[in-house]
Amino acid sequence: MAAVAATAAAKGNGGGGGRAGAGDASGTRKKKGPGPLATAYLVIYNVVMTAGWLVIAVGLVRAYLAKGSYHSLYYSIEKPLKFFQTGALLEILHCAIGIVPSSVVLTSFQVMSRVFLIWAVTHSVKEVQSEDSVLLFVIAWTITEIIRYSFYTFSLLNHLPYLIKWARYTLFIVLYPMGVSGELLTIYAALPFVRQAGLYSISLPNKYNFSFDYYAFLILIMISYIPIFPQLYFHMIHQRRKILSHTEEHKKFE
Amino acid sequence: MFKRHKSLASERKRALLSQRATRFILKDDMRNFHFLSKLVLSAGPLRPTPAVKHSKTTHFEIEIFDAQTRKQICILDKVTQSSTIHDVKQKFHKACPKWYPSRVGLQLECGGPFLKDYITIQSIAASSIVTLYATDLGQQVSWTTVFLAEYTGPLLIYLLFYLRIPCIYDGKESARRLRHPVVHLACFCHCIHYIRYLLETLFVHKVSAGHTPLKNLIMSCAFYWGFTSWIAYYINHPLYTPPSFGNRQITVSAINFLICEAGNHFINVMLSHPNHTGNNACFPSPNYNPFTWMFFLVSCPNYTYEIGSWISFTVMTQTLPVGIFTLLMSIQMSLWAQKKHKIYLRKFNSYIHRKSAMIPFIL
Repeated sequence: MAAVAATAAAKGNGGGGGRAGAGDASGTRKKKGPGPLATAYLVIYNVVMTAGWLVIAVGLVRAYLAKGSYHSLYYSIEKPLKFFQTGALLEILHCAIGIVPSSVVLTSFQVMSRVFLIWAVTHSVKEVQSEDSVLLFVIAWTITEIIRYSFYTFSLLNHLPYLIKWARYTLFIVLYPMGVSGELLTIYAALPFVRQAGLYSISLPNKYNFSFDYYAFLILIMISYIPIFPQLYFHMIHQRRKILSHTEEHKKFE
Repeated sequence: MFKRHKSLASERKRALLSQRATRFILKDDMRNFHFLSKLVLSAGPLRPTPAVKHSKTTHFEIEIFDAQTRKQICILDKVTQSSTIHDVKQKFHKACPKWYPSRVGLQLECGGPFLKDYITIQSIAASSIVTLYATDLGQQVSWTTVFLAEYTGPLLIYLLFYLRIPCIYDGKESARRLRHPVVHLACFCHCIHYIRYLLETLFVHKVSAGHTPLKNLIMSCAFYWGFTSWIAYYINHPLYTPPSFGNRQITVSAINFLICEAGNHFINVMLSHPNHTGNNACFPSPNYNPFTWMFFLVSCPNYTYEIGSWISFTVMTQTLPVGIFTLLMSIQMSLWAQKKHKIYLRKFNSYIHRKSAMIPFIL
């Protein structure tokens, strides 16, 4: 249930290092925000993450060219994908410390949902790794993350190219539904194997008097997309209208 | 989930008399009464002085605007300086019947905090004309309704699971495996807890006249009823496993549970005493009852005993969902306790020196 749009929306102002309206990055002076040390750290973090997701992107392209087919590309980028997606957990820490002014709860929800999909579904159910749906969300995530992290990097440096801002608030229109579709299809494909193996499930009787059905849990997660997806998607559309049109007005004023 | 708001009342006295309190208790109570009456008498003469100095009563005119539309709704005149926000709301309702007093939130400025009902006009007036902004707070319910709903649900829901009705558990499994004695005991303890809560809500607690949005009622019931369902499902399950250390674990926990329940009850009775409710409350202090001696160590022993009850229930049933519920309740109550503790520190600095909020010596 990676909420790409929500991630984008929530961090829309975060990338600007505490300044309201990251869209005004170019030329705007810092009044308040993280110190120079925190800024330097954030720049490094965002650069590393941008580079990391670029590695994944390049890996996908090379593997595709080498194999001549898009099936089973997951295996060629599995390790860096796990590393850099899990590395995003640091963003929860950034919010908690306060060097990024985003909501801790919202950020936790978004990062954890992706980490969950990587480790608790794709990693745990080997059979789904060869599914095309995995490729669907991996590609969507990769493009989104390259744009997002470079957006933050340039914002922190007070030099945000319009192209990146435009990409940030436009490409999600396609990438977000694409990612969600991949996620849902992957979870759906995993269901039979989870049920068959009783994966991660606890049954009664036991001394803790507690039971957990991972199969039912996954179904609940899929159902939860229904109320969540539209909210996040339309929120991003609203955000897009606000930020990109604000730029237009800014130009007219000049 | 919600703190109780308490106000003055004389239920304490009736309770004592109905319990046929000993002469000693009566004497103690009479002594407190004498002290209180002396305090009132000594304070009395001070009140007329300011009025005399200012020589005549001032009336205020209050303009009320709609916080949303910024349009003037009405003007209330001849409002005395001793009138409270509560009185203003009543007058407002008479002038504009569609604004119900319990649904009106009054602010001095848009976006500012809502004014409490007990605040007097005199204390907020900058001139003889006062401007207030009114907001419709939506459907409201009284605190008593909230508490009764919160506690009736768990009581009934738990019993449903205890009865093992076929649509919840497998019929054959239920018939084949009889309930372990601790399951009966757990049901008994759970019922005692919520019945006590219901009775205290009706006869002990002095809940304020305030209200809370309907949304809070729904969320709070969802929390309590949801957790009760989860807890009850596992404790009453045919495949329930008794505690690891057997009867000793059960017995010790049950006794501790009952002690904490009794402690919580006596603290609540004490807190509802006229001296300890309302805005002029003085700090509660221990008395002859051993259960009140917890006040020597902590500011909020009612929360201490409450957590103690749930920990005991957790150990007695050895059920993970109960443990999770206990953890969440502990976190919530520690926040309430710390908040209350800070208020006490501000008000009665000398009284509670070196006391902790809820857990002796720790928190």
